[in-house]
Amino acid sequence: MVSSISLSIDSDLDKVSLLARAVRALCADLLSPEDQDAVELSLVEAINNVIKHGYHGERGKDVQVAVGLQADQVVIEIIDHAPPMPAQVLENVPEDTFAFDETDLADIPEGGMGLALIRMNMDEVQYHSSEAENRLRMIKRIGGPGSRG
Amino acid sequence: MLSTDLRNNILVVRVEEKRIDASKAPAFKDQMSQCIEAGQNQIVLDLSQVDFIDSSGLGALVSCLKRLGPRGSLAVAGATGAVSRLFTLTRMDRVFALHQSVDSAVEQLSA
Repeated sequence: MVSSISLSIDSDLDKVSLLARAVRALCADLLSPEDQDAVELSLVEAINNVIKHGYHGERGKDVQVAVGLQADQVVIEIIDHAPPMPAQVLENVPEDTFAFDETDLADIPEGGMGLALIRMNMDEVQYHSSEAENRLRMIKRIGGPGSRG
Repeated sequence: MLSTDLRNNILVVRVEEKRIDASKAPAFKDQMSQCIEAGQNQIVLDLSQVDFIDSSGLGALVSCLKRLGPRGSLAVAGATGAVSRLFTLTRMDRVFALHQSVDSAVEQLSA
């Protein structure tokens, strides 16, 4: 079974939950509830990044999501036309984002957690930008490591 | 988005939203700040109605904790599913005391 669907929203933070709920519903038969949580969170973090950092919060820009449902994996691509994220950002996501000292209030992060969460929740994450578009590709394997489905 | 109730001098704040995401986090932070500025420093946050929090929402909770300062406390009650999982994944379960119910959170803070 291979099927795919494209969805899009305006670059408005109020609309991200619509996409999140739609994609979660699409994955409902394939992924365990924990893996659906992982996909939903990663999708939301990725789109928030596009809207906040790519489009600097400007509305009226396009955010597209392509969802591919395959026999062994769910492939989610987020496509935007904002200035690209610097190539090394994804590779350089600190491993120790959540290794803070909980006894030191100042050390507890309030931001900068999005990409780390995506890396932790998805099995593969790749970013490609071309003249035409930026494309963040995230893969969740069905019944893969860490899955309880 | 929030409703409040004072129990044993502890402010119980119930989030009346299904999601605390990037679109809701600023309003959440503002309303929580008003509670804190009004002098409350023992707060139980009831998340039983919430089924999704993203990193913006989590960041807003951390910001409230910092605003409360070392003498205040912010306990979380009723986190389940994806919300509870986010606390564990980000190790924020070491930062916020997580309780199954508002009753048990209030009881512990009153002790």
